[in-house]
Amino acid sequence: MTARTKTLLGFAIVAVVLGLVPNVVEVLDAPGFYLTFLFTMFFWISQSSSWNILTGYSGYFSFGQGAWFGIGVYTTGILATKHGWPFLVALPVAGLVAGAAGLLLGLVVFRLRRLSGEIFALTTLAVSFVLASVARLTSLIDGGRGIFMTGTPLPEFLGDFRTSMYRMTLVIALLTVLTAYLIFESRLGWGLFSIRDDEEVARGLGVPTFRYKMTALGTNAFFGALMGGVWALQIGFVTVEDVFNIRVPLLVILMAVLGGMRHWMGPVVGAAIIYTLTDRLNSAGLADVNQVIIGALLIVMVLGVREGIYLRIRARWIASGVIFFGAMAALTVFDLTSSLIWDFSYALLITMAMLLIPTPLWERLTRSRITAPPSDRPPEQPVPSKTAGT
Amino acid sequence: MDVDLLAQAAVSGLLIGGLYATMAMGISLSWGALKIINLAHFTFILLGAYLTYQLTTTFGIDPFLMIVVVFPLFFVAGALLQVFFEWAKVDEFRSLLISFGLFIIFTSLVRTVWTADFRRISSEDNPYASASIFIGGVALQVPLIAAFIAAVVIAVGTSLALSHTHFGRAVRAVVQDAEMARAFGIDPRRVAVILSGLATAYSGLAGVFIAMFQVLSPTMTFAWFGIVFSVVILGGLGSPYGALGAGIIVGVVAGVASVVWGPLSAPLVTFLLLIAALLFRPSGLFRRSPA
Amino acid sequence: MRRERGIVPRFLILLAVFALVAAACSSSDDTTTTAAAAAATTTTAAEAATTTTSESSSEPIVVGGSLALTGFLAPTAAIHKVAGDLFVETLNESGGLLGRPVVWEPLDDESVPDQAAAIYERVISEDGVDLIMGPYGTGTITAAMAVAEREGFVYPHHTASLTYVYTYACHFPTWPTGIETNITNPNLVYDALEESGNPPETIAFVMNEFPGTQYIGYGPPGSDAGGAISEAEKRGWDVVAEINFPTGTSDWAPIAAEIAAADPDFIYVGAIGVDGTNLLVALDAIGYVPRGHFYQWPAPGPLLGAPNSEGAFSVTTFEPHSPFTDAAEPAAISEAFSTAAAAAGIPYTAFEAQASVSWAAWQVLIAGVEGAGSLDQQEICDWLINNEVETIIGTIDFDPAQQNYYGDLTKIKQIQNGQFVVVSPSEFAAPGAEPQL
Repeated sequence: MTARTKTLLGFAIVAVVLGLVPNVVEVLDAPGFYLTFLFTMFFWISQSSSWNILTGYSGYFSFGQGAWFGIGVYTTGILATKHGWPFLVALPVAGLVAGAAGLLLGLVVFRLRRLSGEIFALTTLAVSFVLASVARLTSLIDGGRGIFMTGTPLPEFLGDFRTSMYRMTLVIALLTVLTAYLIFESRLGWGLFSIRDDEEVARGLGVPTFRYKMTALGTNAFFGALMGGVWALQIGFVTVEDVFNIRVPLLVILMAVLGGMRHWMGPVVGAAIIYTLTDRLNSAGLADVNQVIIGALLIVMVLGVREGIYLRIRARWIASGVIFFGAMAALTVFDLTSSLIWDFSYALLITMAMLLIPTPLWERLTRSRITAPPSDRPPEQPVPSKTAGT
Repeated sequence: MDVDLLAQAAVSGLLIGGLYATMAMGISLSWGALKIINLAHFTFILLGAYLTYQLTTTFGIDPFLMIVVVFPLFFVAGALLQVFFEWAKVDEFRSLLISFGLFIIFTSLVRTVWTADFRRISSEDNPYASASIFIGGVALQVPLIAAFIAAVVIAVGTSLALSHTHFGRAVRAVVQDAEMARAFGIDPRRVAVILSGLATAYSGLAGVFIAMFQVLSPTMTFAWFGIVFSVVILGGLGSPYGALGAGIIVGVVAGVASVVWGPLSAPLVTFLLLIAALLFRPSGLFRRSPA
Repeated sequence: MRRERGIVPRFLILLAVFALVAAACSSSDDTTTTAAAAAATTTTAAEAATTTTSESSSEPIVVGGSLALTGFLAPTAAIHKVAGDLFVETLNESGGLLGRPVVWEPLDDESVPDQAAAIYERVISEDGVDLIMGPYGTGTITAAMAVAEREGFVYPHHTASLTYVYTYACHFPTWPTGIETNITNPNLVYDALEESGNPPETIAFVMNEFPGTQYIGYGPPGSDAGGAISEAEKRGWDVVAEINFPTGTSDWAPIAAEIAAADPDFIYVGAIGVDGTNLLVALDAIGYVPRGHFYQWPAPGPLLGAPNSEGAFSVTTFEPHSPFTDAAEPAAISEAFSTAAAAAGIPYTAFEAQASVSWAAWQVLIAGVEGAGSLDQQEICDWLINNEVETIIGTIDFDPAQQNYYGDLTKIKQIQNGQFVVVSPSEFAAPGAEPQL
């Protein structure tokens, strides 16, 4: 069996297992919040993975995830409420609209060769601003009135609201991560990485840089909007302030960078960890201290794990596995906390603590020389490293 | 369209543009010269405002005197921050995230000390909030005049410093090629620390002016993102004159659009201007083409 | 050449299998945990005891929910935190609810609706709270209401302005503007203006683009019922300016200039938060003094300190003066609140509109539970629908025919001599106070 087959098999197993969770939760009468917790995690996994397809792979720093998210929310919202479209039909349409918008943006922006990395970032940010002000301006979209999504009918086969959200987000998250994986392994991915390293050289080598960048951008936009559309239901009452703000764009950067931008699993890991930690901190109820802790944690993690958490897990995978699953098992079996999510988050924290041990110290402790993760890529370079035009 | 109305909108826009420029100067310099996307600047503006509020309210100091207090204090803060960034050796992405962490921490600090509720310097302690000088029937609001003058001074001062002083040359050398600069005896770290101090002092200064005429709350920073980044984009990274010009353009365009097509159109017009600028002059309206 | 070592798929499989196993193990543990009386160790303040029937009477009743403790709604939400805390404290001092102490630790929804929804899901299904109280602000209240409806929980709430939208049978609002806010509310204001004996002939509208104020100005989207603007026209007043502004506006000079140019007898400002204060500062800066002005939902403290704010009208449900404080209980509550607010560091400590609707929401919740004599959500809901509740903002009779709304209980207040006093309707006006224009 090739590595690719094994990975695809892994995807299939994960899909099946996660797909059965709602049934398991129901049968065991576990708190329904587990589903909410998981589907929110799927939301972030999908958003950060789609973002990473563009920024992580190609090095074009996008500050504009909010634009795709917003297009998804509003397109789905308008089609489903004001025009009565079936939700599952509105959803992919929203994705396509965003994809088209992304391609349009790319058409304009990628043709300008002198656009440095920073300028690209600011352009994507500006796009979000423009979309927000357009949405605000016309009542065809929002016009300051907001859109009520509560009560939008969903097809029966999806189950009740929470289960529907779970299933939809699961499917989209799986698709996003699968796409990220397939691109990673493909010539497209290789091309994107080469663009990231040095676009001029890549072009010289015959990489169709424009086409590849367009694909990455379009894919990013498509999935960002697809998940955004589903999320409109969770928001309930959609307003421009709540949708077009800095939260989504900033958090996806956070999750992908922390998880590791060089690998398709990075954003998954980053999203899972960041979301779990923020959710539990919020749940602990210490609002102000909570914020300070998050800020401090952020700084510590960014400084402590340069190559991204995922690659660090890969390098220390035995210890990670043992500690994480061991902690989970111990906490669960001995009933030390009040919910599975707490078990999960404590196990995560303990594992993170281990992961934060600086590499030299770790090597000394384990008396091993950790071989670098299999990659012929040089160690983390400052990004964007775009040299074209600046 | 009433000419007086247009004139007033344009003049007010011009002046508030100076404030926008001061607000954006810190981030622009930071990003352009230090390659650090420093979101903490928003909280520096906020802290400058709250500090002004607190000291004027507790000690009855004239708000204008706060300029003298805030500038050196924030210079030091910015210098220390840069020392930290130098030690951390981070790229642009990570600088963004770390500064985001700082942003969260500082906002939280402000909220803890001053609560989330609204705060406004009382009219007794701050007689300048709505004080105006009238020229030809057009009112120039005093805090905004001050902010505008400050913006011009900062822009001219920084620009001249960059082009005519040894320090300025050192900055430009480091921006071009830090290693080469080091070979010529320039210490990039020292340059960066001083620059960061200046940038932070500018942000604190903006906060002083804001406290003079606005109501404060810990989350007022969120309303600033759009404006500040617009000015940064239009003005070009690291260009003081660029920031000034861009601030003025944003202020005037938004002001005039407000009276011609209504306030709802102002953000749209501003942002479309942005997009146009990005398409045709990506490195900023005022930069010469990048070296 | 990249070479996948295949560790990842191994990892994934392990993870997946373990997830199933862990879920199975812990879920059976969870049911034992939640059934026993507080034996499970928790490390959080928010997670408290349980809801089974076989517990002693000293087990606290847990009210779950969220508030915008951080985020852009935080300034006003701070008031609701103080009001809620004070209510619970007072309640517990006088014997609690059904003989049991009440615990309320709102979590921070950060002013984000989907976060609020998630929190309500969590507290209901993971923490297993007994009751819930709504959050602050239209967006978060709306999002959480959907959760309450799905879970069948009674949903009292205090600050959701889009009244016409809410159709959940068991939602109980104490935002007392009724289901036709766009008609009733402005007319209450206009009646007060007529009462002054000097009603305006020309009027200008400055409306925040916030959905709540747009609703008041124009009516529900897609309906031709109209709102404040059309109601003014019906009175024969001339609308000389109609300005809508984005929620985050920082440059008020153009708007002020437009108003000065239009020079209306009266300015109706669909303001939230500090919009009014900013506008007054900008008007003063260009040397224009409004002849008459009204602010929809301002933060009162900053407005009082704004230049030329004398004579400004606004709406309220309670003000700390007679006749509201004639009875001993409201007077005591008002005083206690001011003390608590001061202790919490809040600048403006008067017990007025915001705090009073919060208090009323709590009164509704407690009345429902006590009336039903149990914590059964359906019983509480039925009781509240079929009975009147005496609250600090008046007698509330939830009318299912009006989506549980009950007409408009709003009073009109005006800044006179540097203080807010109620001026209309006359039976609620401060002694001797009249609308002045």
